[in-house]
Amino acid sequence: MVPPADVQPETSLVGLGAESIDFLDLIFRIEEVVGRKVPVSRWETFINTRLPGADLSRAITLAIVLEFADQERSRT
Amino acid sequence: MCGLAGIRSATTKQRNMTERVAITGIGVVTPIGIGIADFTSALRAGCSGARRITAFDCEGFDTRIAAEVDDTSFDAGSYVKPRKMVKHMSRSAAFAVAAAAMARCESRLLAGDVDPYRIGVSLGAGGMGPVDLDLLAGQGFAAIASARGQDSDELDIPAFAREFRARTNPISMLRGLPNLAAAHLAIQQDARGPNNTITTACSAGTQAIGEGLRAIQRGDADVVFAGGTDAMINPVGVLGFSMLGTLSRRNDDPEHASRPFDAGRDGFVIGEGAAILVLEREAVAKARGATALAELAGYGCTCDAYRITDERPDAEAAVRAITLCLKDAGASAEDIDYINAHGTGTQMNDVTETTAVRTAFNGSGLPPMSSTKSMIGHLLAAAGAVELAATVTGMLHDFLPPTINFEVPDPACMLDCVPNDARSAQIGAALSNSFGFGGQNACLMIRRW
Repeated sequence: MVPPADVQPETSLVGLGAESIDFLDLIFRIEEVVGRKVPVSRWETFINTRLPGADLSRAITLAIVLEFADQERSRT
Repeated sequence: MCGLAGIRSATTKQRNMTERVAITGIGVVTPIGIGIADFTSALRAGCSGARRITAFDCEGFDTRIAAEVDDTSFDAGSYVKPRKMVKHMSRSAAFAVAAAAMARCESRLLAGDVDPYRIGVSLGAGGMGPVDLDLLAGQGFAAIASARGQDSDELDIPAFAREFRARTNPISMLRGLPNLAAAHLAIQQDARGPNNTITTACSAGTQAIGEGLRAIQRGDADVVFAGGTDAMINPVGVLGFSMLGTLSRRNDDPEHASRPFDAGRDGFVIGEGAAILVLEREAVAKARGATALAELAGYGCTCDAYRITDERPDAEAAVRAITLCLKDAGASAEDIDYINAHGTGTQMNDVTETTAVRTAFNGSGLPPMSSTKSMIGHLLAAAGAVELAATVTGMLHDFLPPTINFEVPDPACMLDCVPNDARSAQIGAALSNSFGFGGQNACLMIRRW
């Protein structure tokens, strides 16, 4: 497990070894927190709009994931 | 001199390189046809077996399409003796038994032709076991539900045991063991030789056929019923693959949903069925006057050892499986006229697979490579076997099966995928690839006899 201290807002998750199923796992955990289903397509749309043309292996950071989680939490 | 002769005889004992292994019969149970004749016609015509799911109520599911075997044209009991044995078989065991019966019929192997202890079985089967969900839901889950604590999720085990015992027929548990499909096949065919079940998911069928080849080459068997079977079109199977993001969601247009190598692909269409090939040592086939359909010439197998779902981006292990297969057959890339791809139609596989074959065929030019999953769907543990059957029948009837639903090329996977229409062509030698979840890579080569 990665020590929490190693994970800063700007840390790339893929850089820590995250692969595609880890992102599915993250979405699942966000669902548990917000209490409803979060379609994977919404995550994909968020990434495509928030990070157009970016190198996703670097650009998906903790901050980006938290931004998505906040967005989901504030949906009514 | 004596020393050298000693070494030479030791290596020929390990594997008899001079004698070929023939494919003498093929049986298939698929969403596009039962039996090799119907299957061949459907491949030639570019038929899709994908429809809205009828096996269960799929309302609310993200993926509501699958390639199902048509139960109105498949009577499992007609392939089983005595007929009542069918009630002990799971759906996928019944598929395997039927496919084996059809394969045997084509091979014209008669009782007494070969010592039963020299007839083996090598079968790819579902990792979940050929478990019927009704069994699990009606007995297991109901028992769990009634044994759950009032205020917590904890299970009262003694209560669960009472409920489960009360509801469950002891014999029904035998339907769920993954090795039982091969057991039923052996019973039906009186195959008393080595009996093996391989559970490497999407590459199980290919690996089972490869291991069948090896069993004959190392002298453990003269005939092997080799292939794969799967029947995972149930709520848990569909949900499981759906939640992993691997299934196409083109629910409004099922026949166009499976679109390998196309820019608009969005995942695979889950299928079910079985294919069994009779593999036979050349001398044995000749002695009984059997007709060889093709030579099973080579097998290569590696593992990515990288991630449990993602493939190595450079496809190094997949490349190695291909080159090992060619070397095993004493062939080179130039000899290959056609490749049957794994070609699931997921974003990742099609790119990685194109990289793999381009690397393996670097310098000799890439032959046409099509994905029959575009028509048949992804038959999971049966996929490799059904796809080898498609390759053999293409070789016998001089056509390349197409990749249907190909509309917009994807720059990330450019190749000649035999788009949309079957193509007349002579196949002297062909490869069939399978790449499993978990990183298993397997490749088989067939050659004109």
